Amino acid sequence: MSPRRRISAAAPLLAAVLAATGLLTAACGRSLGAGASSQQVSPTKGLVTTTPAGTTPVASVTWAVYRPVNSLDPIFAFDYPENTAISLMCESLLHQAPDGSIQPGLATVVTPSPTTMVFTLRPGVKFWDGNPVTPADVVYSLDRQMEPSYGGFYGGVFSRVKSIAATGADQVTITLNQPDYWLEGELSSIPGVIIQKSYAVKEGTNYGTPAGGIMCTGPYEFKSWTAGAGVTAVANPHYWNPAVKPLVRQIIIKGVSSAASFTSGMLTGAIQGSYYSGLSNLSEFEHSSTVRVYQGPGEETDALVVSATTGPLASVKVRQALSLALDRQAIISQVYDGAAVMPRWLANPGTFGYGQSVFTKAYDSSPVLIQNLAQARKLVREAGVTGQTITIGTSSEIASIAAETGAYQQAAEAIGLKVVLKSVSAADYINFFTSAQARAGIDGFITVNYGDYADPAALLATFALPGGDQNYDNFSNPQMTALLNQAEGTANPDARAALVAKAEELATKLLPWIPDVQPTSVLFLSKGLTGAVASFSYMFAPWADNLGGTR
Amino acid sequence: MLLASLLVASFVIFGALYLAPGNPISALSGGRALPPASLRVLEQRYHLNQPFLAQYWYWLENALHGNFGVSITLQENVSSVIAARMWTTGGLVLYAALIILVVGIGSGVLAALRPGLADTSVLVSTAISAALPSFVAAILLITLFSVKLGWFPALGNGTSFASNIRHFTLPAVALAISSLAIVARVTRAAVREEADREHVQTAVSRGIPARQLIRRHILRNAAIPITTVSGITIASLIAVAAVVETAFSLNGLGAYLVQAAESKDLAVVQGISLVLVTAFVLINALVDVLYAALDPRVSLGSRAQ
Repeated sequence: MSPRRRISAAAPLLAAVLAATGLLTAACGRSLGAGASSQQVSPTKGLVTTTPAGTTPVASVTWAVYRPVNSLDPIFAFDYPENTAISLMCESLLHQAPDGSIQPGLATVVTPSPTTMVFTLRPGVKFWDGNPVTPADVVYSLDRQMEPSYGGFYGGVFSRVKSIAATGADQVTITLNQPDYWLEGELSSIPGVIIQKSYAVKEGTNYGTPAGGIMCTGPYEFKSWTAGAGVTAVANPHYWNPAVKPLVRQIIIKGVSSAASFTSGMLTGAIQGSYYSGLSNLSEFEHSSTVRVYQGPGEETDALVVSATTGPLASVKVRQALSLALDRQAIISQVYDGAAVMPRWLANPGTFGYGQSVFTKAYDSSPVLIQNLAQARKLVREAGVTGQTITIGTSSEIASIAAETGAYQQAAEAIGLKVVLKSVSAADYINFFTSAQARAGIDGFITVNYGDYADPAALLATFALPGGDQNYDNFSNPQMTALLNQAEGTANPDARAALVAKAEELATKLLPWIPDVQPTSVLFLSKGLTGAVASFSYMFAPWADNLGGTR
Repeated sequence: MLLASLLVASFVIFGALYLAPGNPISALSGGRALPPASLRVLEQRYHLNQPFLAQYWYWLENALHGNFGVSITLQENVSSVIAARMWTTGGLVLYAALIILVVGIGSGVLAALRPGLADTSVLVSTAISAALPSFVAAILLITLFSVKLGWFPALGNGTSFASNIRHFTLPAVALAISSLAIVARVTRAAVREEADREHVQTAVSRGIPARQLIRRHILRNAAIPITTVSGITIASLIAVAAVVETAFSLNGLGAYLVQAAESKDLAVVQGISLVLVTAFVLINALVDVLYAALDPRVSLGSRAQ
């Protein structure tokens, strides 16, 4: 439903300088890269969803994000730093477990009819200040997300909601205009974060800013937020859930804007943990005696957004040809330094949060998208577009995007197409997503994109349904639309998974976007520290419940 | 003079940022497509739906009342954004300036007065360090002194004064290193030139002690070109600091200015730029005052202000 994308500009730039000068690289081979590539076909091999729970108290942990946190208000949280900080401290109505499954969170849910969702607050749930979570808090938090006058980012998520009302001492009922089984996923993520009504009303527009602070329910509570030092959270000794005992006295979320700075900070122990993504120098950590790197299931898709409404790329055959010609192994080793897997679908297999056996079976029977130049050339000839030109939007300032654009250029030229690159500054790259004017004449551009929760449909719906947020080429296919609409209204998880799997198979044929690779979620921990969630669900649910020291 | 510079600078910066492509809301939402109603609310909140001059006037009027606006990305008052970061940049530039003055002038004087090994080694090392841009110096220093040797922290500001010094040493060196070479070279040339002057030769022949000779007859006269070049290089550090702050993850004004410009956070860019322009003008004014103190022939009143 609601995708976001990573465009971290400064980090890859300095990383590139670093790699070029070879200064930080302690003369080690890229063993995560090309050498291990044959295994990367298997999507989940060697990936862990969590790390072993910590057992000993830790005084302080500095946790790096790629830039300083801008807001702690869930209605304005869309990107890695904000999500990491909010999900550390705040909890949602439902809970996305590390394996992507949806569990009870602050409430349990039942659906007495397809258009009614009844949430019952779990006994004893309370805010940091000791006050219990009430249905009024829940209604307020969701209204705040839904109501446009707050200027929030997630209004569209609630498009099928008719009303949200307190219907009992511990009960909230959501009434829908039509069945929406995607809403549970959203409510297990940032749109479902519950904040205290009285606190938020008192703070007004200061809520979630350095001046106003926040009031949530999680095992780590907000302590301070100073511009220089980052966001500091401390263990909440009165956490409502007795099963979780926070072991780290304080966690500081600090923005570290350059990959070089992150690398040296991690290696020297100035930073103790991070979910830093898109590092092209991952193998530097491999022989470190001070840092451990884990890879978990990812939920991002690295893809070429197709924005062409005319020209060669508007043809399915040409998209298929380009996909066949792409050297994805090179992207895995050069851009991700091994932290990505070969795709079979547009969806990352880490998004299989429900109906897992159905998804896995369908996924495993789909072919891996390996390079096949002969086949690709044949398709180009059949389409009769040999010698025609594709224009790709890029930014030479963003190393990862420039490298992947290069891979596409190579692929296109290998099959008899011409490529024109239109490069913009790193800061302007975002305009390809938001401005039709910036997209004019551009046939495609690279993205790393993800949905709000673990469901392949969460991302697919944004570009494969007519009117989708990211459907820039007006892609419309009746079969696809029917499958996705039916899935949204299907209660049974396995039946829903079967429909979404069919939609993914169809998408992999029609290629409304062209999948490049499927990034894994990367977790860095100092030796002696363990227990953080390793999967991408850290973006949507508490990730430090079990964080602590090792003996 | 200062006020005129600030007014012109504020208008030019505002205009340039206004004309640059992109808009702060899409930077804020990470390119996520916002519901149109939310978009309207946000545009209204930050006066983005008004024409350029109205926006500028709105900003100027508030600024004149001491209100520099609210950061769109941080939702924080610009003055507190600046206050929280000012000491980092100020401290860093001051530390680097100290290194430039002590080491730069010191080695320049040494090289001028001690031909031979000392002179040659100063020449060689300044030739290398003059060619070292700050961001390369930063990477070299981090690799050697933080990662390999572990003597200094690789990033962050530190919490106490002592740890501030430890945290700021590598950044200050990275910031100072190429300017230091220029100051050393100019000092060396200026001191050489003065040392060869007639009055110095006369003083030598009159048997004036070396210490006094160097202090009163050589350094005093060489001080004017040294002050000029030191002033210019130190003022330029304010701009270069952004690069070093980013490399060492220091939360200074420069690093944040870069971020704010990328996200088109107008009020922050304006506020920080004006602080930097002010500092630049003040350093140059200080250099002028120093001229007058050093050379009685220069009087402040006779200078066109």
